Amino acid sequence: MSPDLHHLSGAYAVDALDRAERESFEHHLSVCDACRAEVAELSDAAHSLAVLGEATPPASLRTSVLAGIAQVRPLPPLVTDSSLVSAADDPSTPVAPVVPLFRRASTWLAAAAAAAAIAVGGIAWSPWSGDAPTLSAVQQVERADDAATVTSHKGAVTATLAYSRRLDRSAITVAGMPPAPDGKTYQLWYVGSDEVARSAGFLTAGADGHGEAVLEGGIDGASAVGVTVEPTGGSQAPTTDPIMVMAVA
Amino acid sequence: MMEDMTAASPGPRTSVSGGAAASPADLAELLRRSARGDEAAFADLYDATSRRVFGLVLRIVRDHAMSEEVTQEVYLDVWRSSARFDPARGSALSWLMTIAHRAAVDRVRSSEASRRRDDAHAAATRPVEFDETSEAATTALEAQRVRKALLTLTEAQRSAVELAYLGGYTHTEVAGLLGLPLGTAKTRIRDGLIRLRDTLGVPA
Ligand SMILES: [Zn+2]
Repeated sequence: MSPDLHHLSGAYAVDALDRAERESFEHHLSVCDACRAEVAELSDAAHSLAVLGEATPPASLRTSVLAGIAQVRPLPPLVTDSSLVSAADDPSTPVAPVVPLFRRASTWLAAAAAAAAIAVGGIAWSPWSGDAPTLSAVQQVERADDAATVTSHKGAVTATLAYSRRLDRSAITVAGMPPAPDGKTYQLWYVGSDEVARSAGFLTAGADGHGEAVLEGGIDGASAVGVTVEPTGGSQAPTTDPIMVMAVA
Repeated sequence: MMEDMTAASPGPRTSVSGGAAASPADLAELLRRSARGDEAAFADLYDATSRRVFGLVLRIVRDHAMSEEVTQEVYLDVWRSSARFDPARGSALSWLMTIAHRAAVDRVRSSEASRRRDDAHAAATRPVEFDETSEAATTALEAQRVRKALLTLTEAQRSAVELAYLGGYTHTEVAGLLGLPLGTAKTRIRDGLIRLRDTLGVPA
């Protein structure tokens, strides 16, 4: 590893690294005590600057924050986090062949929390449309008697996840989605409460920005569904930050 | 702004006017209670920190509506992950501000806010102004201490730190804005922060 890596602590502390540098430095942080300590100190120093530009948010923001948290359950303490770090520190600990954790679990969870606050609701079952023979696989999930939906917005993209615990299925519908870049694909993931991601297949957006897919595998055990951009053919575990995350109840 | 004047005026909330005036131990305790689902504790945490969080986000994001959105996301994230705050790794305020800064920076770097990047040149040629009028009385002393500490940085270090932290620019962008050779801005930022840390670490 580059000896220069230690010198990234300052830029990391003020979020001045680009995405790739940030990721490689975070990997370095997981094995370098000196950098961890330095980042903590330099972050403190940097955050002291925030005292120079305080601004009062509108009262409506307080109202919506408090309304938002009322719909979101705080996560339990992350027990696996410290055990992972100590395992990485201890060279005698064999590396277990487990599915890797999301590298940036907090990003997923933040996005999921925001999404959960935006829209969680049941779809009313319509008896006159429920058993139509022309129902697509996606519609079958959407019309399940216990179906619920979560909608997430990101820029011009709207994603709606419909899921049924009874059917143990979920389906995603997107609008305004650009086609995946050349050599890339949109991959779907079920994320458990332990933050382990399991692949749930792929999503293709058409020229009109529309796409839909029934996720592979059951939703049982999942607390969120995410979408990442992966190399064509997909990845064993997410290799990039999610572009969409939807929390499921 | 009217709201700022109200916040700075004496009143029942003066001790927690949103400027992080509550003691570090108080904030950590409020987080612990939030982790157990205590919404009243979280409201107190919000009241004690929201001026600082919103001010920082606004500083980086600029757009008012977008800043409100980011601030809301930050507090939802803080609520949801409150049990994961580890007092052994740093103060509650630092943890919260780290989440806020990251969220604001991620927002301006996303494509939907790329407009702001076009203003990069304008930002570079405009001196960073501190919004003194929005300072609550309770934080005035702390602000004075920080402003003094900043004076111990070289001009080059101070510009680099401010553009990175308060401007939300990457070190590559900072190098471009300051006309530095690529790769030197990160050293400048680190040296500046070390100086700031050492100066602030000495009791006034
Ligand atoms: Zn290191």
